[in-house]
Amino acid sequence: MSILTSASLLREPEDRRRFIEKCAKMSFGLSILPFFTGIAEAAEQAGVAAAPNAGLPGFGKAKRVIFLELQGGMSHIDTFDPKTGANKGPGKAISAKGDYQLTEYLPEIAKIGDKITVVRNMTAKVGVHASASYLMRTGFEQRGTLQHPTLGAWAQHFLGASHKTLPSSVAVNRSSNHGNGWFPASFSPLPIQNPDDGLLDTKSPVTTEVAAKRAGLLAQLDSGFGGKAADENVKAYNEFYDTTFQLMKSTDLKAFDLASEPAEVRARYGKSKFGQGCLLARRLIENGVRFVEVANGGWDMHATLGDRMETLGGDFDRVFATLIQDLDSKGLLDTTLVAVTTEFGRKPDFSGGGRGHHPLVFSTVLAGGGVKRGFVNGASDAKGYAPDGDGVSPGSLHATIAHAAGLPVQTDIITPAGRPMQVGNKAKPAMSVFI
Amino acid sequence: MKSYPYRLALSVFLLALCPLDGLAAVPAKKAGKKDDGPSIKVAAPVAKPVQALADKTQIWHTWTDTEGRKIDAMFCGLSGDFITMQTKDGRTYHFSTSLLVPEDVEFAKSCLTKNRDASFSPAIIASAAADIDRLVGAILVANEQKPNPPSSDEQFLRRIYVDATGRVPTAKEADTFLRSTAPDKRAKLIDDLVFSPGYSMQMFNWMADLLRVKDTFGKGVPAFTFEDWLKMRIAADAPWDKLVYEMITADGRLCDNGATGFMLFDAEMPLDGVANLMTTFLGTNMACAQCHDHPLADWKQRDFYQMAAFFGATDGKDESIKGAITKLTKADTSLPKALLTKISEMNAFRMEDTTKQKLTFPKDYKYKDAKPSSPVTPALIAWEKGDKALPIYNVSIKDPAQLRAQFSHWMTSPQNPRFATNIANRIWKKAFGVAVLEPVNDIDDFKQASSPELLAHLTFIMKAAKFDLREVQRVIYNSKTYQASASPTPDLGKAKYLFPGPVVRRFTAEEAWDSLIVNALGTYADNVLLRRGNDIKAMALPPGKITLAEVKEAVTRTQAAFAGSSKGKAVAGKKGAGGSTLGLANGYEGDKPVTRFSMMLARASELPQPSGETHFLRVWGQGDRLLADSATNDGSVPQVLQMMNGGVGKMIADPRSAAVMDATKEKTTDGQIRSLYLSYLSRTPTAKELASANKSLKDGLGLTDLAWVLANTREFLFVQ
Repeated sequence: MSILTSASLLREPEDRRRFIEKCAKMSFGLSILPFFTGIAEAAEQAGVAAAPNAGLPGFGKAKRVIFLELQGGMSHIDTFDPKTGANKGPGKAISAKGDYQLTEYLPEIAKIGDKITVVRNMTAKVGVHASASYLMRTGFEQRGTLQHPTLGAWAQHFLGASHKTLPSSVAVNRSSNHGNGWFPASFSPLPIQNPDDGLLDTKSPVTTEVAAKRAGLLAQLDSGFGGKAADENVKAYNEFYDTTFQLMKSTDLKAFDLASEPAEVRARYGKSKFGQGCLLARRLIENGVRFVEVANGGWDMHATLGDRMETLGGDFDRVFATLIQDLDSKGLLDTTLVAVTTEFGRKPDFSGGGRGHHPLVFSTVLAGGGVKRGFVNGASDAKGYAPDGDGVSPGSLHATIAHAAGLPVQTDIITPAGRPMQVGNKAKPAMSVFI
Repeated sequence: MKSYPYRLALSVFLLALCPLDGLAAVPAKKAGKKDDGPSIKVAAPVAKPVQALADKTQIWHTWTDTEGRKIDAMFCGLSGDFITMQTKDGRTYHFSTSLLVPEDVEFAKSCLTKNRDASFSPAIIASAAADIDRLVGAILVANEQKPNPPSSDEQFLRRIYVDATGRVPTAKEADTFLRSTAPDKRAKLIDDLVFSPGYSMQMFNWMADLLRVKDTFGKGVPAFTFEDWLKMRIAADAPWDKLVYEMITADGRLCDNGATGFMLFDAEMPLDGVANLMTTFLGTNMACAQCHDHPLADWKQRDFYQMAAFFGATDGKDESIKGAITKLTKADTSLPKALLTKISEMNAFRMEDTTKQKLTFPKDYKYKDAKPSSPVTPALIAWEKGDKALPIYNVSIKDPAQLRAQFSHWMTSPQNPRFATNIANRIWKKAFGVAVLEPVNDIDDFKQASSPELLAHLTFIMKAAKFDLREVQRVIYNSKTYQASASPTPDLGKAKYLFPGPVVRRFTAEEAWDSLIVNALGTYADNVLLRRGNDIKAMALPPGKITLAEVKEAVTRTQAAFAGSSKGKAVAGKKGAGGSTLGLANGYEGDKPVTRFSMMLARASELPQPSGETHFLRVWGQGDRLLADSATNDGSVPQVLQMMNGGVGKMIADPRSAAVMDATKEKTTDGQIRSLYLSYLSRTPTAKELASANKSLKDGLGLTDLAWVLANTREFLFVQ
C-alpha cells in the first residue's frame, strides 16, 4: 500500500492514537509510521459501526476461514455439478452422502458430502486467468489504479489482529500479492512458499551462548538511539525486536512446524504440497491464525482432462475430505469456514480431451462456520452453461464468507485515497447457505 | 493573454530567467470542497531569480579499447571507473574504463568535466539554497517555531550518503570526511556524491517505485529493455521533462525501444493508464472520475474521458503479429517453435498511433453533459481559471495520430500548471521525508502546502534547472534546512510540518539492503551492473507488416545472442525475473556479483525488479510495483527474523565481510571497534560504547558478532 495518504483522513489524533495502540498489540506487522498510516479514521469508524447484518442467520459463526484456491479453473461438470448427455465428461456420476451427485473423481468427498454445501450457481464474466483469479480472491474486478484486499485483511480491519504473536493471515503455496489492498502493509498475509519449511529464519545460526551474549551487547549499545529516543517509529522497531526475541523462545512457533504432527496424520493429508499446505492451514487456525489461503495449481484442463482429474483431482479429493473430517472430529468445523474456490468453470462442450474457460456458471464449496451440512445451493441449467435462476457472484461469495466471519457487509469504509468501499463490492451474502 | 504575465517570454530560456512564474501568486481555489486544515501564517520574502542552466551537448567520439577495437558512440556518463555510452543504433554499453586506451579515459573525464561545468555554479547553488532557508525561516518565525540546530558532521555524512548514493559510507569514506578540516567539505562531498555511481542507482530505485518498473509484463514477457533504457537515461543525466516526454510518446516494439515500457505497462487497461499518468506526473487524482464524477474534487467523469481521448488513437498491443508469425512459419518446421512463440509474445508489446480516435463514453454514462456511447472529443483539464489561456493549451486535435504527442507536449511543458511542481514536491519529499504539499499524489490545491511560497520557489528551481533532478537535489542538499538535525516523526494530523529540518526516517528497503551490501563487499558492489536488455533486442521485428525472411533473421539473431550466454538466460523471461541465479548472473556487465548464503550480492537496482516476495528487499517494503508508490516503511517480525537469523544476518556476521575485514586490519581493539562503528553507524563510538564493546570482545564475542550487533541496532535502520 502506498504510504501516501490523504491528509483529510489523519485529522483525528484521537482516532489515530487508538488505532496505533490497537496495532501495537499485534506484533507480526505494525504500520509504524503514524502520519503515513491514514487508516486510523476509517478503521475506527468501521470498527464501531454496527453491522447491518448482525444477528442474521450465520453471522459471526466462523471464527476462522480456510480459503482454498484451485488455480486454472476447476471444471464444474467434472466435479461438483455432473451432467448427462452430450456435455457429460469422461467420469460418471456417483451419489454423495447428503443426497446429491458428484463425479466419480471425488469418491472421498462423496463420503463427507453431508458435511458441506456445494454452490452450483456461481457466476462471473471474466474468463482470463489472472483477472478472474483476482476477482475470486478479492471479490473485486482488477484495476490498475488500486489494489483490493483479501478477506483476511478485511477481517483484520474490522476485528483487529487474531493473535498476540502469530500473523492474522497466512498465504500458503502462493505469494501474498498485495493481499492487504489499501490497508497497511502489515495486513498482508505472511507468505509460506513451502509448507514443509514453515516460517523461515526462526532459529539463531549461532550457539545459544553466543546468541545470548549478542543480545546482551545489543541491549547495551542500542540504549542511546534506540533507548531514550522520542521517535515513535524507532520505538515501534524496539517492539518488533522484543517480540521477535519472545517469539523465538515461544511455543507459538510450533504452529508452523509440520514435523510436530504425527506421521499418521501427515500421511493422511498426503505428500503433495497442497495436502501438507492444508495440514499447515489446520495447525495455523487451531493456534490462532484467522485466515489461511492455500493454493493448488494445475486446473486449467484444456486437454487430458480425464487423466488429470484422476491425478490432480484425486489428490484434491483426498486432501479436502481429510481436512473436513479432521476439523469435524476436532470439533472445529462449526467455527471454521472452509471455502473451495476457483476462478471460473469450464465449457460444457468437451473437445480436444478437455474444456475451455467458462465463467458464466461454475461451482464452489463452502463447509463449516454456520453453513448448512449436505446442501446444494442453486443449480446450473441442464447443459451446465448458465445458472438456472439467480447466480452467486464472486462478490456475493465474499460477502457470504464475510457475513459468516462476523464482518459488516454492505457498509462503506473509506480508503486512504478517500474512496468508499465495501467487502464483497456491494454484493449481498447468499443467505440460503446458512443454517 | 494578459492573464499570464510571462506569456510573452518567447523562449524557455527567457521563461526560466523570469523571477517567479504564475505559481508565486497562489490563485484562488476552485469551488473548494476540501477542508483547508490548520491555518498557516505566512510571511514570505521574495526569492531571487535563479539563472537557468545551459543545455548539455551531445558528445560523439570514436572510442578505442586496449585491443585496438573502435566504436563510434555518444558519451552518456562516467560514474567512478564506469563509462556509459550509446551507439547510433540505440544500443547502450557500460564498462570499466580500464578497457579503454588511456587517451580515451582522459577524454571521458574531460566530457564529465564539461558536463559538470554545465551544472549550476557554486554561487547559484548557494543563492538558491539560501532562498530555501529564507522561505522556511520566515514561515517558522511566523508560527513561533525555530529551525533545528545544525546536524553534526556524522549525521550529515550518513544522511547525504544515503540520500545521494543510496547507501551508508564505508569506514574509509566516513573517516576521510570526518577527519577533513576543509571549511567547504560538506559542499564538496555533495558534489562528489551526486556524480558518483551510487547516485544513478538510488535514482533508479526511486523512479522504479514511482514508474512501476517491473521485470515482466503479462505472460512473463520481460521488460528488461525498459529497465536498461531508464538506467541509461539516468546515467546520461536526462532531464525529467525529456525523460517523461520520451516515455509517453515512445513508439515501436518493447524489445526494440525500451522507452515504450512505461506506457505498455497499462496496455491492457488504457483508461487506468491515463489515470496513472495524471497521478504520477501531475499529482492529480482522477481515478474516481474514471467511473463517476469525483465525489470530493472537481473532476467530472467527462473531464477524465476527454483527457483519455488523447490516447484513444494509440494502440498498445499488436495481437495480429502472433497470427502473422504462425502463418508465415507454418511451412517451415525447422524453425524452433518455442522460440517463435517467445518472439511473437515479445513483439506483440508495441506502441503505435492509428488514424482514428476510438474512445467513446461508456454505455451506461449517466450525466447530462454527454451522450452514452458517443465519441469523445479530446480536451485538456485546467486547475485554475487562467490556465486555459496558456499557449500550451493551444493543442490541435485534428490529427488523431498526433494526439498523444500533443498531450505529452502539454503535460511536460514548463508552462503546465502542475508538471514542474509535482516533481519538485516529490524531490523535496525524497530529501526531507515529508512533502511541502501532502499527499504527493493529490496536489490540486497549492494552498494546502505547508508553504505555498516554498513550493513556488522549488518549482522555479526545477524550471531553472531545466528539470535536471541532480541539480535540484544539489540545491536542496546545500541548504541549511536540509543540513539541520532531524525532527522526530511529525503528527501531520495536528499541524502541517514546517521543515525545521528533515524528518527521522527508516531506511527504504533498498537503502537498508544496499547499506548491508556495501558492508559485505565494499565499494565493489557499486560497479556490478545488471543489463539484460541488449540480447532481447535480437528478437525485435520491424514495424508494420512482416516477412518470413525477417522472422528467420530474428530467430538467427536471437539464437546467436543467447548462444554465448549459456542456458537459462533472459530468453526465459520468467527465469531471469524469478531469480534463477544462473539466469541472472549472465545478465551482468562489468563486474560479476558475488553469491553468498544463497543471495546474490548486488545493489538493489541491479537485482530483479522487484525482488521475489521472500527476499530481504520485499520483506523490508520494496513495492510490488503494481501501483505507483507501492513501497512501504512498515515494520514486521519477519524483517527482524531475517536481519538476525536469515541469510542477511549470516552475511553481516561473515568473516569475509568487507566491514569486518577492514576492522581486522586495525592494530588495536579500540581501532577495530571504531572501524566497525564507522562502517555501520558512520560515527565513532562513545567512551561508554567503547567500554561495552571491549568487554564483550574479551568475553568471547568476535568482530563478526559486533558487526551483527551494530547492524541490529535501531540506529542502523534510521537516517537521522
